[in-house]
Amino acid sequence: MAEEFPFDISPMYEGERIRGKDFYVELGGPKKPGFELVRVAPMDEVEDGKFTLIGPDVPDIPEGSSIAFAQIYKVAGEKLEEALEGVLERRVHDFQNYIQGFMHLNQRYDIWLRLSKEDVKKGVTFKTIADATMMLFRNELPFIEKMEAIYITDEEKVNEQIHEAKEIYKKRDERTKGLHDEDVDTFYGCTLCQSFAPTSCCCVSPDRISLCGAITWADGRAAAKIDPEGPNFAIPKGECINPITGEYTGVSDMVKEKSGGAYDRMTLHSFFDAPHTSCGCFEVIGFYIPEVDGIGWVDRDFPGKAPNGLTFANMAGQAGGGKQIVGFLGVGIGYFGSEKFIQADGGLYRTVWLASTLRKRIEENIPEDLKDKIADESIPDIDSLKKFLLKVNHPVVTGVIRKVDNKQITEGWTLKKITGKIKNDVLKYIEESGGDIDLDDVADKLALSEKQFMQVVDKLVEEGYIEM
Amino acid sequence: MTKIVAISGKGGTGKTILSAMLIRYLIDTRNNKSILAVDADPDANLSNELGVKVDKTIGDIKEYMERNKIDIPGDKMLHFEAKVMESLVEEKNFDFLVMGRSEGPGCYCYVNNLLREAISNLVDNYDYVVIDTGAGLEHFSRQVIKDIDTLLIITDQSKNSINTARSIKEISDELNLNIKNIYIVANKVSNKSVVDLIKKYASEISLELIGALPLDDNIVNIDLNGKTIFEIPKESPIYKEVIQIAKKIGLP
Repeated sequence: MAEEFPFDISPMYEGERIRGKDFYVELGGPKKPGFELVRVAPMDEVEDGKFTLIGPDVPDIPEGSSIAFAQIYKVAGEKLEEALEGVLERRVHDFQNYIQGFMHLNQRYDIWLRLSKEDVKKGVTFKTIADATMMLFRNELPFIEKMEAIYITDEEKVNEQIHEAKEIYKKRDERTKGLHDEDVDTFYGCTLCQSFAPTSCCCVSPDRISLCGAITWADGRAAAKIDPEGPNFAIPKGECINPITGEYTGVSDMVKEKSGGAYDRMTLHSFFDAPHTSCGCFEVIGFYIPEVDGIGWVDRDFPGKAPNGLTFANMAGQAGGGKQIVGFLGVGIGYFGSEKFIQADGGLYRTVWLASTLRKRIEENIPEDLKDKIADESIPDIDSLKKFLLKVNHPVVTGVIRKVDNKQITEGWTLKKITGKIKNDVLKYIEESGGDIDLDDVADKLALSEKQFMQVVDKLVEEGYIEM
Repeated sequence: MTKIVAISGKGGTGKTILSAMLIRYLIDTRNNKSILAVDADPDANLSNELGVKVDKTIGDIKEYMERNKIDIPGDKMLHFEAKVMESLVEEKNFDFLVMGRSEGPGCYCYVNNLLREAISNLVDNYDYVVIDTGAGLEHFSRQVIKDIDTLLIITDQSKNSINTARSIKEISDELNLNIKNIYIVANKVSNKSVVDLIKKYASEISLELIGALPLDDNIVNIDLNGKTIFEIPKESPIYKEVIQIAKKIGLP
């Protein structure tokens, strides 16, 4: 493969560590700054095979030193575009680890490289490493038509350029964050939690982080590429059945297979319609509160009870284990920042209660017009929650309109059954107030919305107790 | 091919001393072989016996990953692998890794998966790995460390330590750890009749007693004076016995 090089080049050297006493020079790492960058450039701005070194070369560096280091590769080709830079840059780690006697760890501005004494004895310089790296890129990725390398070993110059590099990484991350479910054709699955939650089928999409909060769509893609048969695997999206609930044939097919047939449908962005399975190690659990037709959320750090009388651990025990239970939903904290956050069921506008520990972490995701309308543990039970929601006029009281298509999805509070007690309470209130009805007062004393109050009044008129 | 030796047993029976002496033995006899020492018992202090200063443990890194998982950009595996390497203490004659504290609340499925990969990549780089581990075999049950060649279970004269040995054997069977050899080592034994008794107990759980470490003032001496294992004289009775054990389990 590489007769012209003084070292062997092969995937078998992946994972090779150069031990502390065996390296000639250490580049970047915990002690010195360093970065690596791949940039796509126009064809006429790349001189193929060229190597530039800014700073001292290997023979001029004392044995056993740790030095600052940057490696920058300019690539050109008909099919290359800026969006590919991240993927190409990730390959530097793979290819340089093929080099015998050379260690490459980490990425971006955290790179940590070691060149062994053995290699230096064979006459290896930075040019040898650059040549080998470029040879591997050209061989494995033929759409790279031209490639040149610039290495910097001068600490001052590395420090100068590292800022520029950080800006480029930042821009790249923003682009990934800007991706949405509809922009990609593959989601990623994770079955790591199946060891204790056998039917758990995590589906990670650009708009939905894993339940544990650890795996983004980009992480899933990276892991699946390295080991496609492993616990992180690609899910071809298939056909989109419902863009609002986030139902895809590919996701449901995956669930059928990976849950061992326990479930055959799963949506990504609905709380009620075939919701995502809940493993048990989710960061947050949501719970439906039927009395107010709203949803509450509690995180692992919150030790107290939610208004339904249950703690995080209670609910995790009840809903976890990989089950799909309508009424409960485990999510990662990052999901609150998604524009598709349970969008089918009104997103945050359906949220009536948040544990303060969780609220602190997602404050920036709460829309301005909702900031004062969501209760926390200072509202500990259903009755006080009802009164609170009436007072702040929460959307669930009058009916939630979901943002995605402006459709009203809940009818607002209505009484399913008008009991004798409610009739008596309302009659008593009307008598006491002398017919001068104040709706704030109604909310506070009777915990009824205007609509509910009028329901009772209509009934009382119908039955002849009062006259309009 | 990496040869992995793990040492387990009830707390206080001398696991850490035996681990340290095996590492010392490997260093004394090695011919340019690479050695990794692993402290996998949160209650132990192999670092003191070896005279190594440790800044960061794997437990610290797991906590760090669990806390910062959202903010770590790019490839998390690469980031984690480098963090593991950073926690490695590189001594002149051996490298040293401390697993550290147990997990806090939160989900460690993902982090443990990264850890399995990172540790397995690291371990493959050494000729010998010696692991001082607690009786619960925590890191083995999660498959963080695999392919153990020899497990030495240490006991003293107490019945309790024998019972612990029995449960360690049971755990390793239940977990299907595929350990090639499991032996009992007796420690702090004062006379032959005690050795015979432990041998009998060992055979009741189908294990062979592979060695008996005598009470040795040299050990008391290093413990009391804060010295390291490297200061035990080569000719001390306990070290001589460790050499015999090392040879029996196929160390050079």
